[in-house]
Amino acid sequence: MSVDYSKEIPLVQGRLTMAELDEAIAKPMSIRPGKIYFIALAFTSGLLLLGVLGVSLTFYFGIGEWGNNQPVAWGWGITNFVFWVGIAHAGTLISAILYLLRQKWRTGISRFAEAMTIFAVMCAGIFPIIHTGRPWLAGYLLPYPNSHHLWPNFISPLVWDVFAVSTYLIVSAIFWYVGLIPDFATLRDRAVSKIKKFVYSLFSLGWRHSNRHWRHYEKVYMILAGLATPLVLSVHTVVSFDFAVAVLPGWHSTIFPPYFVAGAIFSGFAMVVTALVFMRKVLGLENVITIDHLDRMNKIILLTGSMVGYAYLMEFFISWYSGVPTEQYVAINRAFGEYAWGYWIMVTCNSLFPQLFWFRKFRRSIPAMFIVVVLVNVGMWFERFIIIASSLHRDFLPSSWGYFTPTWVDFSILLGSFGLFFTLVLLFSRTLPVVTMSEIKGVVEGAHPTHHGGDHDG
Amino acid sequence: MSPNDSGYIKKDLPDNIFKAGSLLLVVGLVLGISGFLVDSYRASFAYLVSFIFFLSIVVGSLFLVALEYAANADWSTPFRRVSEFLAAGLPLLLIFAIPLMFNTGSLFQWSHADYIHSDKMLEAKSAYLNTPFFMIRVFAIIIIWILFYTFIIRNSRKQDESGNQLLTKRNIILSVIFIPVFAITVTLVAVDWIMSLESKWFSTIFGVYLFAGVALSALAALTLVSIKLKEKGFLHPAIKEDHYYSLGTLMFAFTAFWGYIAFSQYMLIWYGNLPEETFWFMQRWEGGWKIISILLIVTHFIVPFFYLLSYESKTNPKKLKFISIWILCVHFLDLYWLIMPSMSKNDHAYSLNWIDFVFPLVFIGVILMVFQKVSEKINLVPVGDPKLKRGLDFHL
Amino acid sequence: MADNNLYCVSALFDTPDKIINAARKTTEAGYKKFDVNTPYPVHGMDKAMGMGQSKIGYITLFFGLSGAVFIFLFMWWTFASNYNIVVGGKPFLSAPAFIPITFETTVLFAAISTFVGMIAVFFKLPHNSHPLHDTEYMKAVSGDKFGLVIEADDEQFERNKVTEFLKSLGAFQVADVYLPEKETYKLFTSGFVIFLIILAIVTSAATYITLNKLMYVVPFSWMEVQPKLNAQEESDIFTDGKGMRPPVDGTVARGELPYPFYGQTNPPEVLSNPTVPTKKILELGKRKFLTFCSPCHGNFAQGESRLNGQFPTGPTLVSGKIINYPDGMIYHIITNGQNVMPSYMHQINREERWAIVDYVRVLQRAQNPSQSDIQEVKKESSSNVTK
Repeated sequence: MSVDYSKEIPLVQGRLTMAELDEAIAKPMSIRPGKIYFIALAFTSGLLLLGVLGVSLTFYFGIGEWGNNQPVAWGWGITNFVFWVGIAHAGTLISAILYLLRQKWRTGISRFAEAMTIFAVMCAGIFPIIHTGRPWLAGYLLPYPNSHHLWPNFISPLVWDVFAVSTYLIVSAIFWYVGLIPDFATLRDRAVSKIKKFVYSLFSLGWRHSNRHWRHYEKVYMILAGLATPLVLSVHTVVSFDFAVAVLPGWHSTIFPPYFVAGAIFSGFAMVVTALVFMRKVLGLENVITIDHLDRMNKIILLTGSMVGYAYLMEFFISWYSGVPTEQYVAINRAFGEYAWGYWIMVTCNSLFPQLFWFRKFRRSIPAMFIVVVLVNVGMWFERFIIIASSLHRDFLPSSWGYFTPTWVDFSILLGSFGLFFTLVLLFSRTLPVVTMSEIKGVVEGAHPTHHGGDHDG
Repeated sequence: MSPNDSGYIKKDLPDNIFKAGSLLLVVGLVLGISGFLVDSYRASFAYLVSFIFFLSIVVGSLFLVALEYAANADWSTPFRRVSEFLAAGLPLLLIFAIPLMFNTGSLFQWSHADYIHSDKMLEAKSAYLNTPFFMIRVFAIIIIWILFYTFIIRNSRKQDESGNQLLTKRNIILSVIFIPVFAITVTLVAVDWIMSLESKWFSTIFGVYLFAGVALSALAALTLVSIKLKEKGFLHPAIKEDHYYSLGTLMFAFTAFWGYIAFSQYMLIWYGNLPEETFWFMQRWEGGWKIISILLIVTHFIVPFFYLLSYESKTNPKKLKFISIWILCVHFLDLYWLIMPSMSKNDHAYSLNWIDFVFPLVFIGVILMVFQKVSEKINLVPVGDPKLKRGLDFHL
Repeated sequence: MADNNLYCVSALFDTPDKIINAARKTTEAGYKKFDVNTPYPVHGMDKAMGMGQSKIGYITLFFGLSGAVFIFLFMWWTFASNYNIVVGGKPFLSAPAFIPITFETTVLFAAISTFVGMIAVFFKLPHNSHPLHDTEYMKAVSGDKFGLVIEADDEQFERNKVTEFLKSLGAFQVADVYLPEKETYKLFTSGFVIFLIILAIVTSAATYITLNKLMYVVPFSWMEVQPKLNAQEESDIFTDGKGMRPPVDGTVARGELPYPFYGQTNPPEVLSNPTVPTKKILELGKRKFLTFCSPCHGNFAQGESRLNGQFPTGPTLVSGKIINYPDGMIYHIITNGQNVMPSYMHQINREERWAIVDYVRVLQRAQNPSQSDIQEVKKESSSNVTK
C-alpha cells in the first residue's frame, strides 16, 4: 500500500462533523448497555471479589498466607506492584509526552489511556501496602510529627516510592480532570435529565468555553504535560531504585532506570491496545480510534520492546565484561537456573514477538496485534517476577538459598487486581466520555482558520 | 508538489567558510603535531576527546536525519539538509581513527599483556579487550555508519530532482534499521573508547549516557547552523518561531535526559558503594577534578535547563544561538571529564595544558570545509521532499 | 425586561474563519469587555483578541521551587538535626538520596498550585450562576458553533449599534442575554436541620465504633494477643499453669555456683572476699545496693529507709557489730537471708553480692572515719581548691 507523505493521515475517519463526533462520544453514556457489557462486568467483578477474599484472608491470618519466604521475601506482592505501576505509564506518556511532541493522533486515545493510568496506579498502590502485613499502619510512611517522634527514612527508596506513586496519582488525576472540565460542560449542555445536568454542572465548575479561559487552559495543559513527563519517568526510575541501590547482583545495575521506564511504557501500551481493541468496537468508535492509531501504538510497542531487549543484552554483556564472579553467576543462573522457564518466557514474549510489528501487516491486523500485546503483558509480568525471584533466590550465602512457590491466595490477589482494573475500565467507559471531545473537535478537518486563505496568520 | 515551487532559491555559501575552515585545520594540525612531539602521551588522550566530539556531531546528525524519517516528523524537514551536511564528515572518521590506532598503547592499559595477566578479573575479559578485536570493531562500526550514510543521503538527494515518494519510503525503512544499529554501535563506542580506559570499571548505563550527549550535541550543532544560515538567508524564508521553538524544546528535553541519565548512574554507584565501581567517581572527585565535576553539573545541566525553561529563550534566535554554542562547549567538557582523568593514573591532580585544546580546531575546521564543499552542489533545503510543505506550514 | 438587566449581546458563527475575523474586528473596533466562546481552543484566537502569553507559568515556577526548597530543608532538618540516625553508612546530609523526594515534591507543589491557581484565581470558578449558562448560545458553543459576546459593561456598549455590528460580521444568530434574577434560599429549612442531626449521629457512631471496636478486632489488635509467658502470671502453655519456670532439677545455670552453706547460721571461715574494691566493682556494688538493699536498709545503710513503717525496719549496717563481721558473714546473710530477710541468691549473682559487700564496707568507713581518713579528705579537698 502506498502512502502519500505530503499529507497527514486524517485523525478522524469517515469525515465526521463535530456534531456527529459529540453524538458518537456521548452515546455510550446515554443508552442502556447491552448484554455483553453486563456479562463482562459480572466476570470482572467476580475476579474482584476473589481478590477481596484473598486480601481479607491476608489481613486476618497474616502474610503467611502467601508464598513469600526467605530469601524471596518480595514475592508476588512487589512483582504485581511493579507490573501495575508499569501499566500506569502509558496514559501519561500518551497524554503528556505525545502532547509535547505535538503528536496529534494522541487525542483519540488520551482520555482512555489516562483513565487506565489512574486505575492502574490504584491497583499498584494496593500491593506494597498489603505486603507490609499490617496495612493499617501505613500512615507512618508519611512524614507527619507523630507521637513516636519518628520520621520516615528519607534515604530509603521504599519511601521514595511512597512519594513518587502518590504524587503520580495526584498529578495524573489533576491532569485527567483538567481535560475533563470542558467535556463536562459540553455534556451539561447536552443533558436532558435533571440529575445528569446537576452532576455535570457540578463537575464542569461552570466552564463557559471562553477564550479568555482557553488561553490559560492551554498553557496549563502544557505545563502539566511538562510536569507529568519527567514525573512519569521518575516514577519508574524510583521503582527501579528499589532494586538497583541494593548491592545484590542482578539488581545493582546502572541501566535499571531507563530500562524500567522503557519496560513500563512497553507494558502500558500493550495494556492500552488490549483494551482499545475491544472498546473501539463495543463503543462504536472505530472512526475516532482508527486502525492508524493502533498502528502507531504498535510502533511504539516495537520501539520500547527493542529498548528492553537492548537492556537485556547490555545486562548480560556487562555482567560478563565486569569480570565479577557473582555478577556472572547471576546472569547464567537467570538463563539456565531454576527460574530459566520464566526467563525464557520473558525473553520470548518481550523481545521476540513484538518484532512481528516490523511488518505493517501485523501492525494493522486486529487478531495478530491482540495476541502480541497479550503476550507482551505476560512477558512484562514475568520480567518483574524474574528480576525479583531469580535474583533473590540465590543470595551471596548458599545457606540462605530457596525457591519461591506461590499459593492460591497469591493467585487470587493477582486476579483480583485484574478484576479491579477492568471493572473500573468498564464503569468508566459508560460514565465518562472515553474520547476528549474538546480535543478531537480541534483536529477534524477545517477546525482551524485557514492559514493561507485569509489575511490572518496564527 | 513538484520540486521547484517550494519558494526556496538556492544561494551559494560564501567561500570564506571554506577558507576559515582550512585555516583552522592548518593551525590545528601544526599545533596538534607539535603537541604529539612535546607530550605524545597527553596528546593521544586530548586527541581522543576531540575525536569523540567530532564523532558525536557527525553520527548524531545522521541519527537526527534517521529519526526524522522514522518518526515521520514534518516540522524538521526544512532543515534536515543541515543535519545531512553536518554528517557529511562521517567518512573521514576512517582517517581520523588512524592516529588513535597507533596510540592504543598509551591510551589503554589493557593493551599491555603483562597488565592483563596481573589480574584475574581482567584476564576474564581479555577475549573482548584485545587490540586486534578492538581494531576490527572500530573499523566495522565506522564502515557500517558510512554505508547507512551513503544510502540515506543518496535517496534524499535524488528526491530533489524527482520528488519521488518512493524514496521517502525507502529512507524510512533504512532509518528504522539504522536506529537499532546506531544504539548498539554507540554503546560499543562508549564501551571501547571511554569505558575501557579504566579497564576494571563497568556501568550498564554508559552507552545511554554517551547517546544523550551525542544527540544533544548534534541538536545544538543543527540549531546553531540552521539559525546562522536562516539569518543570512540561505534557508527557506518560511522557517519561523515555531520551528525554533521545537528545536529549543528538543534541546531542553535532551538536557534533562542527560541530567537524568547522569544522575541515575551517579546515584546508583554512590548508593551501592562498591569499590569496583566507586573508584571511577573518586578519581573525578579528587584534586582539581572536583572543580571540573561540579562545573559539569552546573554548566551541563543547571544552566541550560533553566535557560531553556522559558518560551522566550526557545523562540529568540539570538538566545538559541548562544545556548547552542554553550551546549557544544559543555559536551566537549563532558567528554574531557570522561576521558582525561584516566590519563593521570597515579596522581589525580588536574593541570591545564594547551595540548588539550588544539585538536578541536582541526575538527571544527574539517566540519566547516566539508559543509561548504557539499553545499556547492546540493540544495540547502530538501525541495523534493513531500513533507516539506507540511514542515513549512508547521505551527504550534 | 429592562435594559439594566442586560448582560450582553451574543452572536453565533459557524466557521472558525468567521469567528477569528469577528474577534479581530471587535478588537479593532475598540471593545474591551468581550469574549469568544468556542468548543475547543481555536488557533490564533489569542492574537486576534489582542491577548499575549498567559502568565500562569510564574505560579508553577514559584510554587515548584518553594516545594523543592521546603522539602529539602525539611529532610535536612529531620535527618541531620531532629533525629540523627545513621542508615546504610550514609552521611546525615545525603544530598543524592534526597533528590528523588525533592523532585517529586517539586512536581506535586507545582501541579497542585497551577491547577488551583487556574481554577480559583484565573478563572474564578466554580461559577455555575453565570448569565450565559442555560442559554441557547451556550448550548451552541458547547457543540460545534463559535460565539462572541460583547458585554453591556463595555464603555462603548450601545445595544443597537452592537447588534448591528455583530450582524455585519456574518453572525447567523444574534441574541440578547440577560442577568438572571436574584434568588434567595433559606439556610435552616427543617429538612436540612434533620439532615444535619442525622449526619452528626452517624458520624459520632462511626467514629466511636472505629476507635473502640474496629481497631481491636483480630487483624488490627496491634500484637496485643500473643502466645507468650508473662512473669508472675498464669499460663496455659504448661500443664501446671505456672508462667515462671523453676530450674530443672540437678542443673546448674551458666555462671552460677551452688552455695554449699545454704541454711547454716554461722558462716564458715573459708568464705573470703575474691574481689578487689576497684572503682568498677564499687560502682557495681552501689548500683546493686541501691536496687536491692536500700529499700529496707536505706540509701546510706543507716536503717532509715523509704519503707519505714510499712515493713519491718531493716537494721543499720554501719554499727560496730556489722563493722566487725567478716566479709564472708555479710555475704552469707545476703545469700542465705536472716530473720525476715529473704535469700537474694537468685536475684543477685555471686560477683554482684561480693560487690555489695565491698560497697557496704565503703559506707561503714565513710560514716565512721578515722583521724587519718579525715586528714586525707581535707588534703584532697584543699588540693582541689587550689587547682
